[in-house]
Amino acid sequence: MATARRQSAADIGVLHSHTLPVFLILASVAIGVAALLPLIQSSSATDTAGDVRALESQRTDWRARLRALELEVAGMGSLSRIEAEAAARFRMGTPKELHYIGIDAPAPEARKIPSRYLPEEAENGSDSPSLVEDVLDWLTP
Amino acid sequence: MRGQRWNTTWRVWMVMVVIAAGGAILTARLAQLQLIDHQRYADEARLSHVSQDTLSDRRGALLDRNGYPLAGSEDSFDIMVETKAWADATEAAESSAALSQIAGLPPEQLTATVAGADAYEIAVARGLGYEQAQAVRELRLDGVRLAGSSRRVYPEGNVAAPLLGFVGQDNSGLQGLEADLDAVLGGAKGTLTYERDGLGNQLALGQRDEVAAQPGANVVLTIDRYIQRLAETELDKTIEKHKALGGTIIVVQPKTGEILAMASRPTADVTNPDLSDESKLALFRNRAITDTYEPGSVFKLVTMACALDLGLVGPYTPWYDEGIFRVDNWAIRNWDFSRNGDQSVTQILSKSLNTGAAFLSHLAGPEQFYAYVDRFGFGKPTASGLGGEAGGQVRTPNDAANWREVDMATNSFGQGLSATPLQVVMTGAAIANDGLAMKPQIVKEIAYPGQSQTVLSQPAAQVIKPETARTLREMMGVVVEGISPTLLDVDGYRVGGKTGTANLTVEGGGYKPDAYISSFLGIAPLDNPVLAILVKIDEPQGTPWGTVVAAPAFDHIVEAALAHLKVPPTESALVAAE
Repeated sequence: MATARRQSAADIGVLHSHTLPVFLILASVAIGVAALLPLIQSSSATDTAGDVRALESQRTDWRARLRALELEVAGMGSLSRIEAEAAARFRMGTPKELHYIGIDAPAPEARKIPSRYLPEEAENGSDSPSLVEDVLDWLTP
Repeated sequence: MRGQRWNTTWRVWMVMVVIAAGGAILTARLAQLQLIDHQRYADEARLSHVSQDTLSDRRGALLDRNGYPLAGSEDSFDIMVETKAWADATEAAESSAALSQIAGLPPEQLTATVAGADAYEIAVARGLGYEQAQAVRELRLDGVRLAGSSRRVYPEGNVAAPLLGFVGQDNSGLQGLEADLDAVLGGAKGTLTYERDGLGNQLALGQRDEVAAQPGANVVLTIDRYIQRLAETELDKTIEKHKALGGTIIVVQPKTGEILAMASRPTADVTNPDLSDESKLALFRNRAITDTYEPGSVFKLVTMACALDLGLVGPYTPWYDEGIFRVDNWAIRNWDFSRNGDQSVTQILSKSLNTGAAFLSHLAGPEQFYAYVDRFGFGKPTASGLGGEAGGQVRTPNDAANWREVDMATNSFGQGLSATPLQVVMTGAAIANDGLAMKPQIVKEIAYPGQSQTVLSQPAAQVIKPETARTLREMMGVVVEGISPTLLDVDGYRVGGKTGTANLTVEGGGYKPDAYISSFLGIAPLDNPVLAILVKIDEPQGTPWGTVVAAPAFDHIVEAALAHLKVPPTESALVAAE
């Protein structure tokens, strides 16, 4: 009987302890934060995915612009344009007589095909592995 | 009392049966929806929130031998509209009005395109440039998105149009090299499957599967844009001057068989092909390889090559021209009905004597004569790799039912057989290359992503001995010396050639009255040939002679092309440097 009374008094002590509310609040906050984690993670992933899409779109746009510029350059170098410019700006025309002059110098090198039309060189490891990949590599022999 | 209970029980049962039947019907319908038609409804549901786009990377460029693009691709954009988004007429009208200003199409056309579609979404405008795409993007219209595409651009304009061909709306090659090299230029298509939201935008965390598209390879051609343009300019001038119906000019490098220029007229505008009119489709063909003609006197070179190579005659072997050569009761006469008396074999070429050519073929005999015709590649395609290449027609003694001895006599001066302009110019190239015929080559290099493939020149056959070829070249030089300098006089270089004036055959046999094909097959420089050129003009009005019509074009092309190729002129033509 005396033991029971002592136990009950102890129980009452725990319930009336000053640390209980703090503990409960902390537990609630912890649970709340834990519940928010997936939401934060999901939100962050959505943001990142959105950024990736935006960057991809930007890359596509820049590539389109670059290709358009390449062809604009090609158009600027077209024979018809050069001829028209030569005639209009420099008043040049077809020669009536041709004179050949022998010179003691090596012939100019043949024009090389612009590198943009040649096969691209293979990229060498431009994408560095992520931290997770590093950890996985370390874990797996 | 008992009857009342029975009545109640019966009614309860009726209700239960009705409920059970209703339940069974509902279950059956549920089974139909969930089990039998499951796939269809699942697909429909997926379609409403999953999109699949076909991805295509850039189509490879067609470059000239020095790397100048003749045809290239730039990214373009197609405006895609969800049909449901334009279900509301007011909204559709507003959106189409905004889009029409950018796309340059009437708004009614845009709305009609969407209204008439039964697909989920449809392209209302294609091939928009980068700036236009940006403008569309800034409008932020619901149910409107941009799909990436590609547009063919021709920096040099319509240069080499029949050779290059063109692509269709889906960017696949339909004609010319674009069609022949479609597998190489087109790359590999990819697919993008993704979940989208109600506005059609891609969901950031949705399902996304992408199979990347592969870009097409860039193809370096053997064509030199300068010589190609030169050939086209000269062809246009000649056609205009002689009011001709068309023509062809081909320039070949004899040592490699590389085609430097291939021009033909009439042609269509490949930069903006009009495929709506079927009658204009013929304009897109490459006449240099698809159309055959009787080569006429140019073919005397083959006859002469045969006789010289067999050792039957030499350049100064005497021969008496009676003005007539009889075969099978047929009389072969010269083009001017002349009787020239004592002549040398060289004069058979320089005076273009039909009787002399018939005599030489008779001397060689049918077996040998047609063996040489075959060696030079007549009667079969040249294996240039160009699609639609014709082989021409040559009747031989093997086809006894259709061949007579007089056929060989007429064949000896280029009548009664047909050939493509490419076959004829390759004959000149073989003579220029010491008798070694090369396969005509149009592709020089293919630059795939990550690797490059060089196409090497391939010899076809040693058709005549080198010394025979050199003798023949000298004889061709004599032919040119006989042409008035006002028509053919290349400053600084010695050239050789042979003229041809052939009748125009008509379908069903016979010749078209007063219609001729004037041609000139030449090589330059004569001592160390770098170029073999065929100029062929169809139905010139007035003077039909190849000397007058075609030779001047050869002269102009050679003069400019040799300077462009940095081929030094003979010493006597050089001005001393200070």
